[in-house]
Amino acid sequence: MGYFNASMSFSFDYLSLFFLAVIAVVSVPSAVYSVGYLKGEYPRAKIIFAWFLLVMFILAMVLVVTVSNAFVFLIVWETMSLVSYFLVTFDNEQEKSLRAGIIYIVMTHVGTALITAAILTMFQYSHSFDFAALKSGCQIMPENTKNFVFILLFFGFGAKAGVVPLHIWLPYAHPQAPSHVSGIMSGVMIKIAIYGILRFVICILGVTAMWWGNMILIIASISCVVGVMYALMEHDIKKLLAYHSVENIGIILLGIGAGMVFLKMDLPVLAVFAFCAGLYHLINHAIFKGLLFLCAGSVYKATGTRDIEKLGGLIKVMPRTALFFLIGSIAISGLPPLNGFVSEWLTLQAFFLGALAGTAGTKIFMGLCAAVLALTGGLAAACFAKAFGVTFLAMPRSARAANAKEVSLSMKSAMFFLSLLTVIFGLFPAVIMKILVKVSGEITGIDTAAMSFSLNNFSLAPQPANRACLSNPLLALILIFFCGLAAAVYYLLPGRRNTVKNRTWDCGYYKLDSRNEYTATAFSKPFRAAFSFFFLPYRKTEKIRESFYHVKYFKYETFTTPIFKQYIYDPIVNAIFMAAGYMRRIQRGSIHLYIAYIFITLLGLIIFYRG
Amino acid sequence: MQIDIFLFGMLIANFLMVAAKRISALINGFCLQALLLFLATLILAIRSKNIELYIVAFLLFLLKVVLVPYFLRRIVKRIKVEENLGLFVNSALSLFLVLIFTYMAYLFASTFMPVGESVNGISCVISLSVMMTGVFMMISRIKALTQIIGLLVIENGLFVFAAAVSGGMPFIVEIAIFFDVFVCVIILGIFVYRINRLFTHIDVNKLRNLKG
Repeated sequence: MGYFNASMSFSFDYLSLFFLAVIAVVSVPSAVYSVGYLKGEYPRAKIIFAWFLLVMFILAMVLVVTVSNAFVFLIVWETMSLVSYFLVTFDNEQEKSLRAGIIYIVMTHVGTALITAAILTMFQYSHSFDFAALKSGCQIMPENTKNFVFILLFFGFGAKAGVVPLHIWLPYAHPQAPSHVSGIMSGVMIKIAIYGILRFVICILGVTAMWWGNMILIIASISCVVGVMYALMEHDIKKLLAYHSVENIGIILLGIGAGMVFLKMDLPVLAVFAFCAGLYHLINHAIFKGLLFLCAGSVYKATGTRDIEKLGGLIKVMPRTALFFLIGSIAISGLPPLNGFVSEWLTLQAFFLGALAGTAGTKIFMGLCAAVLALTGGLAAACFAKAFGVTFLAMPRSARAANAKEVSLSMKSAMFFLSLLTVIFGLFPAVIMKILVKVSGEITGIDTAAMSFSLNNFSLAPQPANRACLSNPLLALILIFFCGLAAAVYYLLPGRRNTVKNRTWDCGYYKLDSRNEYTATAFSKPFRAAFSFFFLPYRKTEKIRESFYHVKYFKYETFTTPIFKQYIYDPIVNAIFMAAGYMRRIQRGSIHLYIAYIFITLLGLIIFYRG
Repeated sequence: MQIDIFLFGMLIANFLMVAAKRISALINGFCLQALLLFLATLILAIRSKNIELYIVAFLLFLLKVVLVPYFLRRIVKRIKVEENLGLFVNSALSLFLVLIFTYMAYLFASTFMPVGESVNGISCVISLSVMMTGVFMMISRIKALTQIIGLLVIENGLFVFAAAVSGGMPFIVEIAIFFDVFVCVIILGIFVYRINRLFTHIDVNKLRNLKG
């Protein structure tokens, strides 16, 4: 059993360091935020418990990305899952939390089981759990086994990352944790799964077949669109953000999948570039998703509800939070000049360049991926127009929204820090790109010394010398200039004094109150109609009559069919329960019978051994 | 003095226990079997002049021949339960089944050991038979005390089996098992006592009402 002398060795290569940075960038502000968030929300003992879990959680994530032994990796990976389970069920007096916890822990254990199987299969060839030994072991692995291990690894880590169709736990678990933890879970933890894919699939296993990258691209595309479409339909602000995590994991995997395809097509420069794009989006998503979850937590703390249909008008009472949320929304929608735009642009560029370099089939495929990404960006913008508009603009739809107060300093400072990072990562992509090139050079094993994707410190240029390049600071300047111009025109033109003040979203009509306002459901109606083949919407109407002529009131509800739950998970769960029902018949509760089962088995074995 | 005779004696004690209809007869049967096991071990110890075996034999005597039967009898007295064991399978049929089990044990043992020739072969057959009888008693008797005795009978069989196959377990393991068995008997005894206090019976088949 010499293999199990798992030396607790660490590696601090660029990949690990990059992920450490991701963890730190979100965890530290979240921890600061939690000071204000937990105060008054929970009793003292519970707050101490929350801190304990938070520290354990961060520590486990740090260990996951730094250990260099697969056996230890599995242990810390499991620790991370278990600690996050306790964080998901932190409000354990709520039925919903426990349900979310169960879904989460089942899904995460399915993932861990797959990963364990993959690592043990690799171990057959390496006879050591050390990463370096695993890597050399994978050299002698037959092709088919490699494919098998890849499938196990991808779906194992995919369950944690939340790729469709394994995303089912995300919208339950993430919103249920306290908000600062939701931020870390959504911003960092699911990225740790991406670390697993990078480390085990690309570094250790090595990309062997073309279809690996293609499969990742297809699944990533589906994740993008499905995630954002569900987000559009969602009116619980934290669930909405959780669905956006599914979308963004898709975008990250688009970059990584493209990188794998380029590796196989023998285009090292493009491969490095595509990995950079994926990694860039990874850290960007960590930042703005952390920011958005913190903002959502502030809204929840101030109003006590997460249903955006009950909010509205918060920009007047919580101007700072509104500003931070707006920054996050712009970033996640991929609008210039913030960081989301940069990484989505890079990913798109990777696809365009791939389409240019590839042959016919690849051209079409890359083009389709780019189209999916563009569609995703558009839908995300629509979704955040809804989320921001309904939550912060308009008139308050409930008393709680009207009486909200701005949150405390520690919460604001954390949000401010993340907003600042969003801007920095948007304005100085060239500097960050240089670092990312090193990371992805290490992942792929390609020498990147000669590669440069930037003209100077201010502009990106994926292709040397000609064609597309992007200078975000310049873009920002242009935007500011035009905004200034518009403002100048507005303020300098005559007739400005001739203004009428009305209520928000009143359309000049003077008697509308908040019940007449445009709602989130109404906003998403066109999408529900346009994508009805996917949402399968249905409605319930109910008339309560006093007499035949007088309808006292009319109830109208509209739903969308959760197709993944209904057509994939429900049948599986039902099958398991049915099997359990059959098993129950032999569980009679009689000790004699139980011993008899053992005895009969024993006799059976003896007889079998004879024959 | 041959060891076989004691081993066959154990088999006969087995049949006695299976045929027993009253609790006291069952305890006596067990006591007899333990005594025979003790004698067999003692002879082995005398032959090999192994001090550890002497200690094992002594512990065997102390625990299984003296303490456990005493303890069981005491429980029976204290809970004042009726003498009848409550058989699911009547004693004639039980005896017949146990004979079949013995034959199966013979067949099974002969697949990995020359049975007819050596003492080891015989003790292997008998130990398997004793173990199976122990399980059978646990299954086919109603009163909770039988479950305890069944467990102890299985342990007897294991002891012989270990001796036959590998020349006995390591000393420290043997001691640990004795300790386990004794603690187990005490705990189970207390449970039986409690069950009786709570439900005024110790019929295991009625405990299924506790199932959720």
